[in-house]
Amino acid sequence: MAKNKSNKTPHYEMLYIISNKFTEDELKPIREKVSKTITDNGGAVTYSEEWGKKKFTYPIEHFHHGYYQLVEFDLEADKVAGLDRTFRLSNEILRHMLVAKPVRSAEEIEAEKRAAEKRVAKTKEKEEKEIKKEEKKLEKKKPVDLKDLDEKLDKILETDDLL
Amino acid sequence: MTKQIKQDKACHFCVNNISEVDYKDINTIRRFTNVYKKILPRKRTGMCSWHQRKLATAIKRARTMALLPYTNK
Repeated sequence: MAKNKSNKTPHYEMLYIISNKFTEDELKPIREKVSKTITDNGGAVTYSEEWGKKKFTYPIEHFHHGYYQLVEFDLEADKVAGLDRTFRLSNEILRHMLVAKPVRSAEEIEAEKRAAEKRVAKTKEKEEKEIKKEEKKLEKKKPVDLKDLDEKLDKILETDDLL
Repeated sequence: MTKQIKQDKACHFCVNNISEVDYKDINTIRRFTNVYKKILPRKRTGMCSWHQRKLATAIKRARTMALLPYTNK
């Protein structure tokens, strides 16, 4: 783990999976329990996000689905190991990933968001261009075919020996 | 031939100016695994060594959280 040279409390991010044996109504107390254990250890929750029910790419403890939750918090570095242990021992949480995250200013977060949006827009533009190209190709093909058909029909009709 | 191919590719994260490879961003990470869900070598991805190392840890983290498979079925 990177040593924190400044006096600021380190920033952490945790993604955890709540077992599928709970219904969606039972999730709230578990979420509150998790944030309470963080605050009890002297941490401060700065951000939380619910990913909702997702399918695993492989079964965990015979479950195929789970509720993903994301939490960000500030915590003293020496408390992290204990927190990690409590989450590992808890029955509600199937799996968790506690990762140190660099502290970012609001500007940096915004810049990242903008960059991500740009990337999405770029890929969309590319897709749209490709779709347009394909459409153009189809458009070009169709009228030529019709004209040819008309001409051919006319030629056939012009000739007298139809019967 | 191999030299030419290598020159054509540039590190995806350097080009897009991303310093941290996020293990939660599955759609980006997934592109650097092969059909058998193995991590692609630097020869194939054209990544710089610094980002390749970050990518490897990100993929491994995503695997433990069942966001990416260890192997295909």
